[in-house]
Amino acid sequence: MPDNEIVVDGLTKDFRRVRAVDGLSFTVRPGRVTGFLGPNGAGKTTTLRMILGLVRPTSGTATIGGRRYADLAEPLRTVGAVLEASSFHRGRSGRNHLLVLCDAAGMPAERADEVLELVGLTTAATRKVRGYSLGMKQRLGIAAALLGDPQVLILDEPANGLDPEGIHWMRGLLRGFAQQGRTVLVSSHLLGEVQHLADDVVIIAGGKLVRQAGVGELTGALTTARVLARTPNPDKLVAALNGAGSETGEDGVVRVTGVDTAAVFRAAVAAGIELHELTYERTDLEQVFLELTSGRAEIR
Amino acid sequence: MKNLVRSEFRKIFTTNIWWAFLVSVLVLAAVSFAFNALQAHSILHAPEPALPPGTSPDQQQQIRAAYDARKNLPVQAANLYTSGQYFGLLFVLLLGILVVTNEYFHQTATATFLATPQRTRVIAGKLLATIVSAAVLCVGLTVLAVIAGVIFLQIDGETFALTDPAVVRALLLNLLAYGIWAVFGVGFGTLIRNQLAAVIVALALYLVASQVAAAIISLVSLLTHADWVMKLAVLVPSVASSLMITGGDIPGNPPQWLGAVILVAYAVAAGTIGTLLTRSRDIG
Repeated sequence: MPDNEIVVDGLTKDFRRVRAVDGLSFTVRPGRVTGFLGPNGAGKTTTLRMILGLVRPTSGTATIGGRRYADLAEPLRTVGAVLEASSFHRGRSGRNHLLVLCDAAGMPAERADEVLELVGLTTAATRKVRGYSLGMKQRLGIAAALLGDPQVLILDEPANGLDPEGIHWMRGLLRGFAQQGRTVLVSSHLLGEVQHLADDVVIIAGGKLVRQAGVGELTGALTTARVLARTPNPDKLVAALNGAGSETGEDGVVRVTGVDTAAVFRAAVAAGIELHELTYERTDLEQVFLELTSGRAEIR
Repeated sequence: MKNLVRSEFRKIFTTNIWWAFLVSVLVLAAVSFAFNALQAHSILHAPEPALPPGTSPDQQQQIRAAYDARKNLPVQAANLYTSGQYFGLLFVLLLGILVVTNEYFHQTATATFLATPQRTRVIAGKLLATIVSAAVLCVGLTVLAVIAGVIFLQIDGETFALTDPAVVRALLLNLLAYGIWAVFGVGFGTLIRNQLAAVIVALALYLVASQVAAAIISLVSLLTHADWVMKLAVLVPSVASSLMITGGDIPGNPPQWLGAVILVAYAVAAGTIGTLLTRSRDIG
């Protein structure tokens, strides 16, 4: 087993009468960014907190490199975690927040200054967190996660509160981490965010695993390719396609499933039909996600 | 463990609350000292008690004995040197509570337990940091009170009785009390993690529980005609504390060590139950 693989095995959590996470199993591989997706209330945060030993599972296990979080010899040097952005003492400076953690983990104070530099908070370091924007708090959270230069990064909705520039910066950071062979697990309910970042996705709904796959595999396998054609004579084109699944839309659009662009082009030429546009319609993860989780995402 | 204690110290001293605490304690201690000094002066210079005509020799002897017991330099000196104890202990109790409940109030428990997933060790670190802070506060206050007390007694024309066994004992018991209330505070915070609730319950327990308990106990004892009920008063933490420190004026005259035992038992029970709760709690 690779040293920094996250393995979730039969994880279950009951909160009073609600089963938040239900027999969840998946594996997060190093060297890749894994998106952890699900609608709000799907159990993402509870799962991440169980992996990190903050919430005690009702049954099942979660291990990092084969060990439970509580059994890690040097947790901050192994795993960096970014959970909610509000978990700082408002009256303490950002730098002091990090120094408290340095003390606990036996790391030198210089490390705090290094990560502050890395996330671009050096000038705000000695200001109290009270005066930080949401984006600055998010950066401070990331700085705390990076303190121990960990092999595994776990982030819960890290894009919340970041401006577009901050999101771009964070994506670069996470990609760089994965390229160095480290493990990155990022939860999100914003699918567009993960689509451009993740290599793999784990999709859950109602506390259960819906699907684990590579991003390309998922978008490819789950929806048949569709061709979009635009023509002044949509009805003629449909007739010419002769049985291929097709539907007409506005502005002379014809959507064809089950054939490729070449076949549509040939049919149009043979029938002498004018074409103004002919492309593949890309399915995005959003669509796949809705298909997979529809009807399973009851509010709780 | 050393790292954890250092981390807890940094938590205490990187926000403003410790300033507020320190200033409050110093002001209240100064007021207490002034009050104790006035009292010592009036008692040590009290005139011979007037013996009303017609009192029996027995009664006369009782009045004299009471007069002598009060006009006792070591007792007054000890009282001066431990000035501010009442509020000092209260603030140590509150410090212990805040050291724990701040983690939940400000949601820093997540970061703390990520850095140290062994929660018992985290609480042990908090306990040590609070005890050391309490001890430093106690020693600091004592040094100030002794300096001021010695100066006052000198001016007042008394010796200062610093090496009198009664005074030394009072100073050591004072230190012990600070330590025990620190443990009690941390235990209390782990038991009730809602900061406001923990502070209110602790304040009630410290400030008014003695009176309330005394009232209830006398009522029950009056109704049941059972004398032993009166002796239960010592089970109230603040009563036990004053018994331990001064010997107190408590029904049944229990021994002084009993106060210490009861207080330690409370502190250990609160800390143990609180630690077990903390270990099994979900942080979210």
